[in-house]
Amino acid sequence: MLNYNLKLALISFKRAPSLYFLVILTLSIGVGLLCANLALVSSMASDPIPEKSEKLFHISMNTWPNDQPNEEPFHILRYRDAMKITESDIPKHSAVFYESGVYARDAESTNLKRFDSKVRATTPGFFALTNAPIAYGSAFSKSSGMEVVIGHELNNKIFAGENSVGKVLELDGELLMIVGVLKPWHLRPLFYHATEGRAFNLTDDIFVPLETAIDLGWSIHARSSSTVSYKGVKFTRDRNVFYLQAWAELENQNKVTAFQQYLDNYSQSLKDAGEHPLDIRNELSNVNDWLLENDIVDQKVLAFTLASVLFLCVCIFNASSLLLSRFHAAKFEVGLRRAIGASNRDMLLQGMTESILLGLFAGIASLLLAWLFLKLSSEFLPDLANLAVLEPKLLLVGILLSLFTAISSALYPLYRANRYTISAELK
Amino acid sequence: MLIMNNIARIYRNETIQTHALRDFSLEVKAGEFIAVTGPSGSGKSTFLNVAGLLDTFDSGEYQLDGVSVQGLSDNQLSKLRNEKIGFIFQNYNLIPDYSIFDNVDMPLRYRGFNRAERKRRVEKALEKVGLASRASYLPSQLSGGQQQRVAIARALAGEPKILLADEPTGNLDSLMARQVMELLHSLNQEGTTIIMVTHDPDQAREVSRNIQIIDGEISDFRIYAPLQENQLNDKESHISDKEAVDA
Repeated sequence: MLNYNLKLALISFKRAPSLYFLVILTLSIGVGLLCANLALVSSMASDPIPEKSEKLFHISMNTWPNDQPNEEPFHILRYRDAMKITESDIPKHSAVFYESGVYARDAESTNLKRFDSKVRATTPGFFALTNAPIAYGSAFSKSSGMEVVIGHELNNKIFAGENSVGKVLELDGELLMIVGVLKPWHLRPLFYHATEGRAFNLTDDIFVPLETAIDLGWSIHARSSSTVSYKGVKFTRDRNVFYLQAWAELENQNKVTAFQQYLDNYSQSLKDAGEHPLDIRNELSNVNDWLLENDIVDQKVLAFTLASVLFLCVCIFNASSLLLSRFHAAKFEVGLRRAIGASNRDMLLQGMTESILLGLFAGIASLLLAWLFLKLSSEFLPDLANLAVLEPKLLLVGILLSLFTAISSALYPLYRANRYTISAELK
Repeated sequence: MLIMNNIARIYRNETIQTHALRDFSLEVKAGEFIAVTGPSGSGKSTFLNVAGLLDTFDSGEYQLDGVSVQGLSDNQLSKLRNEKIGFIFQNYNLIPDYSIFDNVDMPLRYRGFNRAERKRRVEKALEKVGLASRASYLPSQLSGGQQQRVAIARALAGEPKILLADEPTGNLDSLMARQVMELLHSLNQEGTTIIMVTHDPDQAREVSRNIQIIDGEISDFRIYAPLQENQLNDKESHISDKEAVDA
């Protein structure tokens, strides 16, 4: 019977192609727009590192040295506080870093073109902590040394994607050797730097040992705060300059408690030494809590998603009205089929089969439209470029939404079609 | 085969009630060929719709082939229609973009037969109406008479107990009407029970019984041709106290 119903559905589409085209277009615009918004929301709200997001903790501390502190513990730390974190053996891995930027070129190339590159100056624990995928070579193992790990994109730009381990980059006039190259690495959101509106930036181009970057004076390209004046990052190690973000991987609750105690003891020791007057308040936030605290899901996108749900409802009503006229035109055939022995259930199944097929066609069209909407969004709103991605789960959602809307649109027309007495349908 | 006792069918709207059938009683024996006549609006079609389970009735009792139809579910009524009744409509009611084969095949689809059985039945039905060679044609490629024969084949394909025909020759010229009537007579001679609504008094005279309906009631019935003993018991066939009159 399924084959027969499918055959009848195709015949029905052939009988009124313009009308069914309109129904598919109406539904697919509604579903496509909603899918495009859901893709944005999904990218914003997704867990970027689900395998260990519960074990990775951002560290905020309250060690501001005077009595005008931030209301909340500070998300950036000064050098010596951060070093205290790296000294602890409680975390499985820890990472302390800041963002910088340099111009990069192949030191051995005759081509003088330099690429503007984002730099993450970090301790070596960063790679294991973030599960950064290494394609060639390895991560650097010390916080100093003239070594770098570069990202896939930069490797493509400078070395055409070849294994560049052992090659030397000239970075703002300094020569550093490549020890590792990453595979393509998409973190949505960029959890390790979710502050200052950078949650949807791409992963960095260059990863350099923290001490090396400080020694080379590579400037801080993110928020910093200080109680003293200083001439550059070289002079931050022993001053109250807050600019380093810190993360720790804590494998279980005991370790979390122990590490919290470790931080609190450290803060208390500073307070006891008269270095800050504040309450002891250090915070550990796991990845998802940290992303929530930073409100990275844009409220405007949420509002627009709600609007697109309402728009989809309008599309369903329109499609339903079109289908009602179609089913009314097919009233005679429904009557005939029932007269010769089809039950209401048979007719309902036939109508549902048609709706499901319609939903599948609308699903394909809606995914194409969603892709187009996202493409246009990236084109006109470059900030969304790293977010506007139609993930596989969204493809499934798109198809399911289309099926749901197609069936919803057909429910009332089917109900009406089956309410007439057969003799009335045959007139 | 078909027993109706005191059937009433009333159509209501906000202002009036129309008694389409009132106190309607009739018994039809297996093998009978009955013509139903009467003026327009007299209730002929309502009777045929109720008999064919296409419409409900408000009161009375109705048994079709031993099955009391009151209180049956839509599924049960559909099954009964599919297995026991064949419909022939005045305007053929063929689906224009289906082939002749597919049109005849339609009722069998809801019967759950496999492909081979459906094919056998469709071919047999088309052979019976002399259109086996036109199975792949579309209805528009056939004459009116041929289309009505296709409709008859569709009604026969399910091998029903009873054929209900609503003015089957109403849209045909006299020659084609003659051919269709001959086909119906031959089917009746093979044992098929037929109830036919007609306006043609000549056709009404050709059959075994003619029932005239006026204002929703049987006003007259006439037996034109004797039926075989096993098909009709005169006493049982009398549906009211009205007198039978030989032609």
